[in-house]
Amino acid sequence: MNARRMTEGRIAELAEAWGGDVRRWPEGEREAARAWIEAHPDAADRALFEARQTDAALDAAPRLAVSAALRDRVIASAVGAGLRVRAAWPGLRRLLWLGGAGWAAAACAGVVFGATLSGHLALERQVEAVLDLASMTGLDDTAVLG
Amino acid sequence: MFGRPACPEGDRLVAATDPDEELLRRVGQGDPAAIQAMVGRKLPRMLALAYRMLGDAVEAEDVAQEAMLRAWKQAPRWRPGQARFDTWLHRVGLNLCYDRLRRRREVPTAMPPDRPDPGPAPDRGLLAAELGARVHRALQALPQRQREAVVLCHYQELTNIEAAGLMEVSVEALESLLSRGRRTLRLSLADLAPGAEPAGEGGRG
Repeated sequence: MNARRMTEGRIAELAEAWGGDVRRWPEGEREAARAWIEAHPDAADRALFEARQTDAALDAAPRLAVSAALRDRVIASAVGAGLRVRAAWPGLRRLLWLGGAGWAAAACAGVVFGATLSGHLALERQVEAVLDLASMTGLDDTAVLG
Repeated sequence: MFGRPACPEGDRLVAATDPDEELLRRVGQGDPAAIQAMVGRKLPRMLALAYRMLGDAVEAEDVAQEAMLRAWKQAPRWRPGQARFDTWLHRVGLNLCYDRLRRRREVPTAMPPDRPDPGPAPDRGLLAAELGARVHRALQALPQRQREAVVLCHYQELTNIEAAGLMEVSVEALESLLSRGRRTLRLSLADLAPGAEPAGEGGRG
C-alpha cells in the first residue's frame, strides 16, 4: 500500500474508511496524502466533505460518564485482586491504631483468631487507603507522575 | 492467553514507548496514588469501549469493572516490552464484550438494549440529544465487526496497526470494514445532513 500513487480516488477511499482527519490514516500513506491535499485544496475539500460529516455525527453519540460508585468499586477491587496497597499518609495514624487493636485482640482471643482479625482489618485499611486518596481533589496523572 | 498482534514489528515500536509503563509498575507495587491515576486514565476508556460495543450502560459498567480487575491482577507480573498496556487492556475489554454478545445470540432477547445514558448535558438541548440517540442506534445496528472497527479507530483512537492487531486482520481488511461501516452509518443518518429531507416526511419529488 505504501507504493500506491496518491490520486483523488485514493484520497476518497482513505477518507471514507479512516475519516476526515489525515492523522488517523495509515502511516505509510499519510505523507503522500498530505502533499496531495496541499496541492489540490478544492478537490480535497470535495473528497473529505462527507467523511468530516460522518466524523461529526459519530462525535454526537452520547458518552457514558464514570459514576463515583463505579470508580469506588474499581478502586476497591484493586485490593481484592491481591495488590498489596501501601498506606497513604493521611490514614497512617489510624492504620497504626488499628494495628495495635489487632494485636490486642490476638492477645485476648488467641493467635489464630487474632491473625484473622488483623488480616481483615488490614484489608479494610488497604481499601480505605486507596479510597482516601481517591477522594483528594486535584490529583491527576501529572501529580502522580511528576 | 491473548493472540499475538498482526504486526509484531510495529507493536515492538509502540511498546518501546508505552506511556503507561511507569504508572503500571507503581500499580504493581500497590501505590495508592498510582491506582487512583490508573483508574482515572483507563476506566473511562474501558467504559466507552464497552458502551459503544454493547449499547447498554449497565453491561458496560460490568465489563469495565471486570477489565480493570484483570488489570490489577496483571500489574505485578507485567513484563515491559511485550505489548502496550493500553492495547492489552483493549484486548481484555473486547473479549469480555464478545462473551456478552455471544450470550445475547444464544439467548435471544425481545429487543437489543438501547439506553443512551446519561441524558443530555444542560447546555446541549433536545436536538443534540435526539441526534446522539440516532447515532447511537445506527452504531448499534451495524454488523459487529464493522462496529468494532469504527469503535476502535474513531472512538478509542487506536492506531490502524493496533486496531488491526486487536481484530486479527490486516490493515487493508480493517480499511474495508471501516469503509462499509461508515458508509452504512452515513446512509442511516442521511436525513440529518444539511439540506436533506427530514426522515419520515417523504422523499424527494
